[in-house]
Amino acid sequence: MTTTADTRTTPYLDLFARRGERSGEAESVRTRRREAIERFEAAGFPGRGNEEWRQTNIAPLLRAAVTEASSRAIEGQQAKRFLYPGCDRLVFVNGRFAPECSSAPEEVNAASLADLPAAGRVADVVAEHLGATVDGRASCSADAGVHPFAALNTALFDDGAVVEIPDGAVVERPIQVLWLSSPVEESGSVDRVEFSFPRLLVVAGENSQASIIETFASTGTGTAGYFVCPAGEFICRPGAVLHHTRLQADGKDAFHLGFQHAHLERSALFDSSSLAFGGGLVRNDAVALLDGEGSHCTLDGLYVVAGSQFVDNHMRVEHRQPHTTSHQLYKGVLDDRARSVFNGRIYVHKAAQKTDAKQTNRNLLLSKAALANSNPQLEIFADDVRCTHGSTIGRLDEDALFYLRARGLPRNEAYGMLVYAFARELVEKASFEPLRLRASLNGGPGGGGSR
Amino acid sequence: MLRVSDLHARVEEQEILRGVNLEVKAGEVHAVMGPNGSGKSTLAQVLAGREDYEVTAGSLELDGEDLQEMAPEERAHAGLFLAFQYPVEIPGVGNSYFLKAAVNATRKARGEQELDAMDFLQLLRERAKLVDVDEALLRRPVNEGFSGGEKKRNEILQMAVLEPRLAVLDETDSGLDIDALKTVAAGVNALRNEDRAFVVITHYQRLLNYIVPDHVHVLLDGRIVRSGGSGLAHELEAKGYAGFNGGPAAA
Repeated sequence: MTTTADTRTTPYLDLFARRGERSGEAESVRTRRREAIERFEAAGFPGRGNEEWRQTNIAPLLRAAVTEASSRAIEGQQAKRFLYPGCDRLVFVNGRFAPECSSAPEEVNAASLADLPAAGRVADVVAEHLGATVDGRASCSADAGVHPFAALNTALFDDGAVVEIPDGAVVERPIQVLWLSSPVEESGSVDRVEFSFPRLLVVAGENSQASIIETFASTGTGTAGYFVCPAGEFICRPGAVLHHTRLQADGKDAFHLGFQHAHLERSALFDSSSLAFGGGLVRNDAVALLDGEGSHCTLDGLYVVAGSQFVDNHMRVEHRQPHTTSHQLYKGVLDDRARSVFNGRIYVHKAAQKTDAKQTNRNLLLSKAALANSNPQLEIFADDVRCTHGSTIGRLDEDALFYLRARGLPRNEAYGMLVYAFARELVEKASFEPLRLRASLNGGPGGGGSR
Repeated sequence: MLRVSDLHARVEEQEILRGVNLEVKAGEVHAVMGPNGSGKSTLAQVLAGREDYEVTAGSLELDGEDLQEMAPEERAHAGLFLAFQYPVEIPGVGNSYFLKAAVNATRKARGEQELDAMDFLQLLRERAKLVDVDEALLRRPVNEGFSGGEKKRNEILQMAVLEPRLAVLDETDSGLDIDALKTVAAGVNALRNEDRAFVVITHYQRLLNYIVPDHVHVLLDGRIVRSGGSGLAHELEAKGYAGFNGGPAAA
């Protein structure tokens, strides 16, 4: 099974060797980094024979000449257009903290992973949790093998954010974590792809409440490609309520292979919305472990793709304890030759009686060449549960289009209104900046709207 | 206002209209009656510009303008309104938002100033009252989960707000109980005036007790086989369509 002498892994293995051990890093984290690179080296990149990666063609990434993204300073203005008003913010450029663009939230303990205090709460949290579960090793699910890109991130992340929300804290202001990629845009360097490994750890304390907004975007204007490989861990302690929005608006030629992992303890709630618009080759793996009685997770998502974009959402929700509930609603809008994969696995352990799990995936195809794949997978080992799933793939309703036109709406306006209507519930859920999202959905003026 | 001459139309290779002639003047109400499959709904859809229907011969003019040259939205801007036999449910689009977009698209196309939210709301409330529509319907998504009666009332409300020159009502009476039928008819009657014309398409004479037409036409096998005054509807009710087989069309 082991791939022998896979030269495509060389740049990553070399970087790990070159870096050596980092002074000041907790021994537990060093160990996890070592184990991660070993697992990555042993497994290599997934091929088409790997069931979990069967529909995700990563060959274009593996063909590219990759190199680590360099540190780059940016103008404040370049970050500003991606920042939401009324939020505290942590800004990273090419995976490295940009303190000059950031405003540290006061009610929480937040730090840059590259610049951790030697001791104290944040240092303890990192030593305990960072990389402890993120690549799925802790999972009981039969298929939970190595996630190669999560392992790569653990081994190679250079910087990132840790946010610890103290027990009982109710944080009113959302915390925005902006991950900016700033690719080199020189002519003649089109084959060079810079990679970065953004890393996020959020620990929501007992009975705390907070909102985290992650934004992935590029300062680039041209077609420079880059490879962003983020990993996020969300630990929800008993009774914690954590809202999470993940807006992915990378450049059109970017590779985005991300992983997020939520661990929920008793009566915790994790509500995550993913909005994916950018990138050329995009995959997001989201795992939620409902590991405490009465915990609930919502994993919602919207993907809007066109051209030759590919977006893959791979979900795994594990119900491990009784009375746990999960909701997933993913919707896709695909135009041109865009393709999508939705792979939704719900795994109900034997102990997880009274599980209530619901999964829905709906796709709207706007062109004949667009293609959506939808794969619901239920594995249920408890006998007193309610699990439902449904998926649809359809086209725009011609009757509705004619109805709107017969009332005087020009074709493009009617079209925009119907597309927006399809996506609306998910867009409005991410209500912090609906106008910008609306513009990207409708492709400009004359489109529909929310009211 | 409306002039339909020797109209032939087909859908998927099947010829449905086979030479329809119809002339409607401002202020008039015309009823087009016919059994299932006679071409009633095809006539309505062709007038509104549904692309699935192909006009193979003849002409359609609204105020001297060739309707065939116009997209469905352009026909609406010119003052044509079709009340659908089966109004379409549009989840995710609010009813009043939709109506505002429709009104302003039309105003924009005519070079008029668009209505702001306040002015529109005032217009909407006034018209909802005129045609006896509950304001709760305005806050729901377009037709989604509406009862049959609510959908038809919503069509009448749209007509009241859009103020067409020519309104074509395609079996607006189908599926309505008598109370809903009376409400819909009262709404139409409230909108009758000397500048506006109606073409009321129906299977049954019942609606015409409440919307009294100036002219009645019998459509059979894609042709108008007889035209007359409102008494013709009663004759039809008594004799059925069987008595009209292939008779010559009166002018």
